[in-house]
Amino acid sequence: MFEQFLSTILKAEFLFSVIRITAPILFAALGAVVAEKAGVVNIGLEGIMMISALFGVLFSYWTQSWLIGVLGALVIGVLLSLMMGFFAFKLKTDIILAGIAVNMLGAGGTIFLLYMFTGMRGNTGALVTPNTLIPVVNIPLIKDIPILGEVLSGHSVLTYVAFLFVWLLWAVLYKTSIGLDIRAVGENPDAAGSVGISVERIKYIAIAISGALAGLGGAFMSMYYSQGWNSGMVAGRGFIALAAQAMGRGEPLGTMLSSLLFGLAQALRTKVSGLQGVSSYLVSVIPYVVTVIGLVIYAASTMQKVKKHHTKAQKGA
Amino acid sequence: MSNRRLLVFNILRGVAAIMLALAVAAVFIFLTSKEPLTAMKYLLLGPLVSFKATGLVFNSTGLFTILAAMIPTIFTGLAVCVMFSANQFNLAGEGVVMLGGFVGALCGIYLKINSPLHPVVCVLVAAAVGGVIMLIPALLKVKLGASEMVTSLMLNYIIMFVVLHFLNYNFADRTKGSTQTYPILDTARIPEIIANGTKLTWGFVIAIIFVVLVALFMYRTKWGYAIRMIGINQSFAKYSGMQVGAMIVLSQVIGGVLSGMGGSIEVLGRFNSFLWKELPGYGWAGITIAILAKNNPIFVPFAAFFIAYLNKGCQQMATYSDVPSEMIDIIQAAIFLFFAAEQFLAKYRQKIVVKNTQMDLANQAKAAANAEGGSH
Repeated sequence: MFEQFLSTILKAEFLFSVIRITAPILFAALGAVVAEKAGVVNIGLEGIMMISALFGVLFSYWTQSWLIGVLGALVIGVLLSLMMGFFAFKLKTDIILAGIAVNMLGAGGTIFLLYMFTGMRGNTGALVTPNTLIPVVNIPLIKDIPILGEVLSGHSVLTYVAFLFVWLLWAVLYKTSIGLDIRAVGENPDAAGSVGISVERIKYIAIAISGALAGLGGAFMSMYYSQGWNSGMVAGRGFIALAAQAMGRGEPLGTMLSSLLFGLAQALRTKVSGLQGVSSYLVSVIPYVVTVIGLVIYAASTMQKVKKHHTKAQKGA
Repeated sequence: MSNRRLLVFNILRGVAAIMLALAVAAVFIFLTSKEPLTAMKYLLLGPLVSFKATGLVFNSTGLFTILAAMIPTIFTGLAVCVMFSANQFNLAGEGVVMLGGFVGALCGIYLKINSPLHPVVCVLVAAAVGGVIMLIPALLKVKLGASEMVTSLMLNYIIMFVVLHFLNYNFADRTKGSTQTYPILDTARIPEIIANGTKLTWGFVIAIIFVVLVALFMYRTKWGYAIRMIGINQSFAKYSGMQVGAMIVLSQVIGGVLSGMGGSIEVLGRFNSFLWKELPGYGWAGITIAILAKNNPIFVPFAAFFIAYLNKGCQQMATYSDVPSEMIDIIQAAIFLFFAAEQFLAKYRQKIVVKNTQMDLANQAKAAANAEGGSH
């Protein structure tokens, strides 16, 4: 069985699926990164993904254009996160509770909205046509390289966008003035306010970007990954994204690496559950267990650093 | 006197939040439904009233089913109250309810104990397992600083899949069409208070007893005080000598014990065997209830009643009109957001505070003048 297992994962096809599965987690995790940089915990990523996934399908169905579907999902993500921001910053709802409320909307509200707009229940299978799916791209030159071409070429447009955003987000955070403001607000809102930065405005901007990214993640899920919307589709990816952000130390590059780790765990899950004599339920646990272990290792290493720092400081004194 | 005015304000504010949420619901209903008035009628009145040709009739069965539906959510509501009071955003109540139900059912199937003691043992075992499981997020938080929120969210999925694994591979009754355990022994069942099929079991009485116990714990014991103080100001709690780490762990273990109990009491009272195939949702309902109750255990039954009423209303609406029952999630989210909003209607609170202070000052001045007048 082990050999059979090895032969399945040591294939270009497997690495391809890792990248494919990582993309939606990466979108949401980058959303968590930008929010966290401004000191905002966005636990509503899960719900935002669910709702924008639904609207992605609906918009693309109404217009028969996948691009408008994706943009629609993005806009819905921004609107939802601005709503969270309004309640959290203006009306002083605890941001975690505002996030839980958005997740409630994502869980049951989507089923209601789907019924309201289409009269369908539970999934949108019948609405999907090739026009409404995000197209795949074969990269010239690279696609002809053996193995590497199979792994890197032939992904959806949005998959490449996700990995491009890792760099883009890094550039925004570290090379632009708005990025500086976001980091300043997250580090010390009082200090940022005292030098004339509008803390509330920056927080709104950060959470809006966060929502836009989660919206893209949602669109990826319904318009490419599972080719249609269904109620159990996001399955905790928004929460896993929070873990990926924590484990990636809140930096875009680190978060990409931890997202890839979770992508790998998910891909393993699909591969292993295809083997005989393996409980599909126990296999389903893999990504979540990996997430907890990842968090523990990250937390433990941070703790150690803090301790070292302390002992050094004590010796110095 | 000033306190009373603020209390009235807080109640009015709650009513306003609920009204706003229902207004949001009404907007959605008028947008979707071809028969919006029928839908609204069943949503708002359906749970307790039957619509007969002769007029409206109070429906006592409706009341019993609402009270029965409160049993698990009172427990999860209490659990969330304790954990959120200590500022521990542990969201694993959802999974622990399922685990508690499963463990309780297994004890009810495989342990051979005499009747009055059997359910007690089942519930206690489930509670213990719930408490032990919550040690995971709690200890990871205290010892390593890992976010209890993220670990508890992951824990929900882990618990669900592990329970489903054991249910499918080890404990399934293969003679049944759907996946479920063997029947729970009669000795382990929690009986109904009045045998009328509404599933209002003695579990309800136990739930109310626990409301009182948790309220006493939170407001009349040293540990309860420490837990609340940590939530208000952790640094203050630490520097005044409280064992913050131990209290954080304790609050989450209590949360686990209560959730585990709730799950097992629900399964032993309502079902003939264990048959949940997904997370039952009581953990999330518990969060809404704790928010409505402002983390005060005494208010939990009222909040639970309200949510159960709304739930039933949505079901009635879905049965008798064309609006789907998932409407409940939109209403709940709206109530949730407005209730938790500290600044919602804050201007009016400000006015009340100012008015109170002015009156107090005026009274003081009067009293001073009187005292002066007396001394001359």
